[in-house]
Amino acid sequence: MIASRQITVTINGKRCVGQDGQTILQVAQANDVYIPTLCYLKHLSPWGGCRLCIVEIAGSSKIVPSCSTPASDGTEVITTSPRLHHLRRNTLELLFSERNHICPMCPMNKGDCGLQHQGYVHGIDSIRYPYLYPSLPVDTSGKYFVLDHNRCILCTRCVRACEEMEGAHTLDISHRGANNRVVVDLGATFGTSDSCTNCGSCVASCPTGALFDKASAYRGKLNSSQIVRTTCLECPVGCSLEVYTRENRIVTVFGDPESPINRGHLCVRGRYETWAEPRERILQPLVRRNGKLEPTTWDEALGAIANATKKLRTAQKAMLVSPRLTNETAKTLKRLAGKFGRVATFVSQNEAALCGANDGEAVPASALDELRDADAIIVLGAQPSRDNGVVAAMIRGAVRRRGAKLLIFHARKSDLDRYADISANVVSLERAFWKQVGTVLQGAQRPALVYGPNAMTPIGVMVMERLINIFEAKTKGQPPRLVPLPVSTNSFALTAAGIEAEEDIGPWIDAKPLKLLHIVASDEPDGGARLLREKHVPALLDAIDCLVVQASYRSALTDRAHVVLPAAIWCEKSGTTTNFEGRELPLRQVLPPRGEARDDKVILETLFS
Amino acid sequence: MNEKPKIKVATAWLGGCSGCHMSILDIDERIIDLAKLVEFTASPITDVKEIPEVDVGIIEGAVCNEENEHVLRTMRSRCKVLIALGDCALTGNIPALRNQFKLKEVVARGFIETESTQVGEMPDTTVVPRLLKRVRPIQEFVKVDAHIPGCPPDADTIWYALTELLAGRMPQWSEKNLQYD
Repeated sequence: MIASRQITVTINGKRCVGQDGQTILQVAQANDVYIPTLCYLKHLSPWGGCRLCIVEIAGSSKIVPSCSTPASDGTEVITTSPRLHHLRRNTLELLFSERNHICPMCPMNKGDCGLQHQGYVHGIDSIRYPYLYPSLPVDTSGKYFVLDHNRCILCTRCVRACEEMEGAHTLDISHRGANNRVVVDLGATFGTSDSCTNCGSCVASCPTGALFDKASAYRGKLNSSQIVRTTCLECPVGCSLEVYTRENRIVTVFGDPESPINRGHLCVRGRYETWAEPRERILQPLVRRNGKLEPTTWDEALGAIANATKKLRTAQKAMLVSPRLTNETAKTLKRLAGKFGRVATFVSQNEAALCGANDGEAVPASALDELRDADAIIVLGAQPSRDNGVVAAMIRGAVRRRGAKLLIFHARKSDLDRYADISANVVSLERAFWKQVGTVLQGAQRPALVYGPNAMTPIGVMVMERLINIFEAKTKGQPPRLVPLPVSTNSFALTAAGIEAEEDIGPWIDAKPLKLLHIVASDEPDGGARLLREKHVPALLDAIDCLVVQASYRSALTDRAHVVLPAAIWCEKSGTTTNFEGRELPLRQVLPPRGEARDDKVILETLFS
Repeated sequence: MNEKPKIKVATAWLGGCSGCHMSILDIDERIIDLAKLVEFTASPITDVKEIPEVDVGIIEGAVCNEENEHVLRTMRSRCKVLIALGDCALTGNIPALRNQFKLKEVVARGFIETESTQVGEMPDTTVVPRLLKRVRPIQEFVKVDAHIPGCPPDADTIWYALTELLAGRMPQWSEKNLQYD
């Protein structure tokens, strides 16, 4: 990186040091000089629309918005003066009078609203303009959030977040002048939008109550909530979360802006699915008596398991664990492995091969940064839109904002196809097709190859070989940076810890007479029910005498169990998880476990010590 | 000992919930100190209806109907200083929510479609004050001298504003003492 030149700006008589290329606002903020803002948000491009950040520059009669005016060496800037105060106050009064800002009934009331805060800062006790009281709609059709045009100040922070963070560009501004309106998909609603991914970055960036989460509205102020930073366990990217809690419940979950991984962004799974979805928690141990699962105590449940295992040989017992388990739980498991004939982590199809291929070959911890910076991205056998929303957002950003090439091979149809130069859901063997691939990749300087589980199929391997040939023969640039992207949260670390990844348990039925199967589904969203859809699993369950399921949520699998042990969920765990880049990331306990639930590690230790 | 003549105060309750008047009473025992300085004339608190000539007029609520407007203009003509108390008087607030709808719809919702109404009819406007087309804050009708925002303004805010005004100063609003809710 080229070191930029240091500049000095005098702000309100204070000598402030900044870098060449920084805006006046950035220099001021870096030097602890407060300038009021509304449409500015640190990680979005400046807009200069709200005119609250206006400043005076000595020697110029013009007033400029500091968020979008570059600071130049030696200038003298004034941020507070009667004239600026008067202008800012007028701007705010116009904003207040333009739409229906009724503080007492707004979920952002009492401290979470930027407009209200600026009204206070500027001592606004009444509005001198006539109120317009426009008749505006409220879009409640979205699954997780509401768009209330009455409270919108058209700062476009949502529009920019949608474009710049998620890359979806669902939102924009329609109409002209006083009729300006935030619009979803050229006039759709959130409920009917094709392009909205429900990532919620628009809500997280809204300064007023125009966009708010349904599950957090009126559940307490954010600015006095406790914030705990932990790691998302929904996929192997390992996004950092800021979890807002009050009185032992989650108020909302935002992305952590300081995280080098997700830089404040989240996908729908981390942002909403883990807490804003109705899921039936298992809150106490259950034991099957006379064919029915009945609530019981931990002692009785553990006793029931001890009874069932008493006469069994080691080889008759097996354990299947979710690839979401923490690294600490993996260590415990490794220690206990001798007590079972087989212990394996159950991964999706072809992922075991991906874990095997990754064995010992560390992915660079900068893989995501390289992806952000790539000028050609090849996606092979992976489904980032479905499985790793934040990676999909990075890919959209690379294509839409930087013009990177995108090639997709051997993956299901997704919204990414729309941005792809070549999208081959079914890979062609024709010469012409590969010639075209070569042409697209010609001259790529920083290519990246993201490959998922399906790259491990014969077709995937074939594509990989041809791509490598193309890179060797056609491009003079770098060979592509290889980024293996598994589906499961911690499958790489679990296999590295010596717990085998298994995607076919057919041999388990035939090889040894299994009597007991212990499944650690942990907090898998479907309570482990996905296992029932896998080949051989129903047959295996039919063949055994005793099924122990350790899970957080009720499912068809827990309904079949003989003993069900309630497991803690993501926000109740502490420990570490390892993302696909090999970074060890902290899990911090946000809430105490609900009901009788216990951490997976604790359950396993109590059972077998 | 010659007592200083008390400052005469009248208050009126227009389109609002009376929460601001409740909040005046929430100044608790300080009302004794206040009573030494001021005399409450017409007010929902004293139940005196006719507004006399006063020094200070305090208005709660937005202007929703012709009667509200009449009371407001009467108050303005008979007081020296007019104070807007609370968000309804200042912004329209909750009563102004009906501005999004047609007047006919609003009246029908209130007099005919209410869940508890069995046989409703549109009101006779010779008896019930006619609604204005739009609910508006009082400063859109008359000159207002001082503003106390809040829904309702809490007792301390009211106390601060009143004592400042009685001392002949305008209340200074900032981040520290402003609240819109």
